[in-house]
Amino acid sequence: MSRLPPQPGERIDRQSVLRFTFDGKPVEAFEGDTIGSALFAAGRRTFSRSFKYHRRRGLLCCAGQCPNCIVAVDGAPGVRACVEPVKEGMRVEHLNAQPGLELDVMRATDLVGTRFTPPGFYYKTFIRPRRLWPLYEKVLRHAAGLGVLRKEQADREWRTEYRRRHADVLVVGGGIAGVAAAKQAAAQGADVVLVDEGQVEPVPGVEALGRATALGYFDGMVPVWQGDTLHQIRAPAHVFATGAIEQPLVFAGNDLPGVMLSGGALRLLERYAVSPGTRAVVVSTNDRGLEAAARLHDAGVTIAAVADLRASATEATRALQTRGIAVLQNHTIVAAEGGKQVTRATLGGVEGGNGAAVGGNRAAGAGGNGAGAAAGAEVSFECDLVVVSGGFAPATSLLSQAGARTAYDEARGHFVLADLPPNVFAAGEVAGHADPDAAARSGERAGRQAAGGSPEDAADQPIEQAPTAVPPPVAGQTHGKCFACLCEDVTAKDIKLSIDEGYDSIELSKRYTTVTMGPCQGRMCQLASIRLMAQETGQSLQTVGTTTARPPYISVPMGALAGRPFQPAKRSAIHDRHRELGANIKWAGDWRRAYDYGDPQQEALAVHEAAGLIDVSTLGKLLVRGSEAGEFLDRLYPNRFSDLKPGRIRYGVISSDAGRIVDDGTICRIDEDTYYVTTTSSGAGAVEEWFSWWLADWQMDVRLTDFTQGLAAVNLAGPKAREILGALTDLDCSAEAFKYLDAKHATVAGVPCLILRIGFVGEVGYEIHFAAAHGEHVWDALMQAGREHGIRPFGLEPQRILRLQKMHILVGQDTDSESTPFSAAMPWIVKLDKDADFIGRWALEHYAQEEPAARLVGFTLGDGYVPTEGAVIIDALGAPAGQVTSARFSPVLDRVIGMAWVPAPLARDGATVAISDQGRTVSAHIQTRPFYDPEGEVLRS
Amino acid sequence: MSLAFLSPVAADDVAIARSPMERMAKAAGAEFEVRDGWNVAVRYAGETAERTVAWADVSHLRKWEVEGQGGEFGVARREGDAWVCPLTSDRALVIGGAEPSPTALDVTCNYAALTILGPQARETIARFCALDLRPQHAPPHSFRPGSIARQPGMLVVEAEDRFLLLFGWATAEYMWTVVADAATPLGGRPAGIETIETIEATEDTDA
Repeated sequence: MSRLPPQPGERIDRQSVLRFTFDGKPVEAFEGDTIGSALFAAGRRTFSRSFKYHRRRGLLCCAGQCPNCIVAVDGAPGVRACVEPVKEGMRVEHLNAQPGLELDVMRATDLVGTRFTPPGFYYKTFIRPRRLWPLYEKVLRHAAGLGVLRKEQADREWRTEYRRRHADVLVVGGGIAGVAAAKQAAAQGADVVLVDEGQVEPVPGVEALGRATALGYFDGMVPVWQGDTLHQIRAPAHVFATGAIEQPLVFAGNDLPGVMLSGGALRLLERYAVSPGTRAVVVSTNDRGLEAAARLHDAGVTIAAVADLRASATEATRALQTRGIAVLQNHTIVAAEGGKQVTRATLGGVEGGNGAAVGGNRAAGAGGNGAGAAAGAEVSFECDLVVVSGGFAPATSLLSQAGARTAYDEARGHFVLADLPPNVFAAGEVAGHADPDAAARSGERAGRQAAGGSPEDAADQPIEQAPTAVPPPVAGQTHGKCFACLCEDVTAKDIKLSIDEGYDSIELSKRYTTVTMGPCQGRMCQLASIRLMAQETGQSLQTVGTTTARPPYISVPMGALAGRPFQPAKRSAIHDRHRELGANIKWAGDWRRAYDYGDPQQEALAVHEAAGLIDVSTLGKLLVRGSEAGEFLDRLYPNRFSDLKPGRIRYGVISSDAGRIVDDGTICRIDEDTYYVTTTSSGAGAVEEWFSWWLADWQMDVRLTDFTQGLAAVNLAGPKAREILGALTDLDCSAEAFKYLDAKHATVAGVPCLILRIGFVGEVGYEIHFAAAHGEHVWDALMQAGREHGIRPFGLEPQRILRLQKMHILVGQDTDSESTPFSAAMPWIVKLDKDADFIGRWALEHYAQEEPAARLVGFTLGDGYVPTEGAVIIDALGAPAGQVTSARFSPVLDRVIGMAWVPAPLARDGATVAISDQGRTVSAHIQTRPFYDPEGEVLRS
Repeated sequence: MSLAFLSPVAADDVAIARSPMERMAKAAGAEFEVRDGWNVAVRYAGETAERTVAWADVSHLRKWEVEGQGGEFGVARREGDAWVCPLTSDRALVIGGAEPSPTALDVTCNYAALTILGPQARETIARFCALDLRPQHAPPHSFRPGSIARQPGMLVVEAEDRFLLLFGWATAEYMWTVVADAATPLGGRPAGIETIETIEATEDTDA
């Protein structure tokens, strides 16, 4: 046990004992402990196995930054033990080690397989034979990764709350600067939200979100992940007081358990009263590392040695010396050794100080990246703790996403903020104000400005801290692995190899080696990898630059980003009737539609033999009103509508500027100034936008109202349709009184309806449109009235059979972005003699004068085979020459029919084409006229 | 030809107009009454005046699109029992009340509607809608067209803790599901229109 006597400010409650298990073994903790602190106090030093080499990893940062302590809690992988509070009874398990954490067979990768597993080895090694890739993939996925998902679906599901929050100011970071900013902004009257990864003390007038991480910056919206809630916070001004992140050093054995950042060691000590070790070697580039040594010494840890990369002593040095601790100036660590944990550290002298290469024969890089040669004797110390501090890099990720630029600071050895976009402010250490008083002042200033106030005072210049040495890219070197990236097990050697193989920019190297792509998201490794890149390429760090900081800032369950599991489906007002009738309901665009009611063939036959009823409420429905409504439609369609008589209907095809078909439908003139336009179901939204867009441009006296959802519509079709409709309305439904393409207003079953006599399915048909609130009533009435006539409901699938028999096209299925009315066998729709200009006219005039390369035609097949939609039409040489767009078996025709694009010379009755489909070739006969009722006699009857 | 087919007003009493959320309400225990030709959820079993948040189906409210009645965008005017919500400088959506003019276009069934009310109403809406409804930015009588649960919609701030949501008729089942999902963890439950009527009557008395 390494629990210490009570420490000032400790966060544990020693009176409250909690129990949990780790890999099935009981562990005791105090209330306030993290999983990491409790396990460490219980003697555990190995917390995980590394991603690739399966090396032991122990606590490093104790701040949720690094990947070393990731475990599974109650089956959920990806939990950082060092920041996850212990809860009574929780079940904690290690990840990525078989059969156990102490003995992991995949460690062989490290011991004997290193030379076979350089970066990208999987791209090179497992590409042949290709058929074995699924096996390789399975093995690799098993070997790598950070845990497995829960096996049972029920266990994978949890509830995430999504909360949208608007604020005047969002402050990210709850340290001295962040709190000062939040207070100041609130004092200015702003609505302020403050978020921090740790606990946040309440701030009056501020909504403080503790244990909440800002995941990214998306044009002013910052998602904040807090437990089971994802806050989406939108604010016009942001203050980022995100602090700085302590950097590890790169040396041989720098990943051994027992190698710990100074901040991590202090957090264990001060928050949880856990001694991070008994005998420590402290290695630092700055005063904070030395201060940690003093604090550890005061807590009873033996300080075996302290190495300071800097040449000169500081106050912190003298503070150690007063404790009887010698500090080796111009020294750093060159290697750590050990088995289960570190047992020895070797320090080496530095030539030139303040950023020189050390302890070996590696030549230094250029561009302020340390200069100097090998120098100094090496000296080793036994220890069970190596405390390192490689400086503090400003946590600029979120600021970079917000548009801030960074530049390399030679003196400090890291990237600092160069400029900020409007309404984005930085405060505290991220802005260079590490001193508490300066941090508070910078916070107040940022808060005031963010709330719309004036700065009032000049910004502090970043206070000159005690000098910080710039560590070498790698210290020591020739033996042992020196990890630049602990998440992905990327060594200094790997970075060099990537450069040798041509990946000589930091972004390319990142993609090849995956450095910075692990759970720490570059917080621990970006600077190290940049230094290595600079050294190996001879570039300055400014030239090398940084990798792109991408969200999310921390690992987040995919489920948290997915949103609540609801699909915004549209349902017609008659939808529940279809459910009750046992309809096979599927997606059709964003609608849920009845595809069939169990037997599409019989449903299609019922339309021919008696009557069928289909819900077509999904059709787009636009009311176009105004004195210029007719002219407006004349401009939008290639044919005429201004001469359409009230009470009559005309088919229309909408073409694009390029003369291509984009939608179709019917247009009914209700009165002199009012038209009712229907569109395809899938095209409704686009057509409404298209109309609105042109209306805004043309500024005509036209009003457009979309009734797509407000009106239900059904199509009653079949030889008995007239009788059925007649039973429910006073309207004279005779063929003479109610002609094909007539539109009439009447009540049906007591409901006011617009009735369009049209025939998409090829039989006498009435499309009945009425207010959606009466959807079920009208449906029920028609079904009731039709019962004695053998009416059947029919779905989308039989409708497709029926329309195919008539060769009525489905835009988007039978046409594509190249289809024109001429190639789609509808030249009659284009009225080039129209006086008015219309959209696509120029292009259509062009198409009218040339033979299209391919034409849309019908075809029949004799052997009962139904080709796949998309099957290839092949020419005499076997080359692709077209494609099948639709094909069905027609029960009334007792043969397979379809439509296809074929070379124009073959688009004639009697021609034959070959269809290649799924390994077979069949011969089809071309037909250019409808398969059913080609003269339209039935339709018009 | 008439445009009466746009309207849910039937020619006889047999044709009862129904909300697209009627089944959801029924499943939640609603009791219905026919009012003005609509089958309306008037109350729910066990409904009490104490509530954190409640939602009520008010799709039966008549809605009209009127020309020549614009106004300040983002602000709804209360005229009698109706909300007049400017869509453009010369076009408004009128919600509730009597037919505003003979030339008004009946768009009742274009929009289903829910009233969300109670102390947690704003918090409930924040679970599925990104509109800024902070009191200082959306005081009573604010009108906010925008995305509601990823669907086009409109919102009227009827009172400090009462919001009227309008959305596409065809998306109503989805919207009920979303609202119920957001409100239930906050202690919410559906309410009948008697609840709304009681509150409005109290407001009228207070006024």
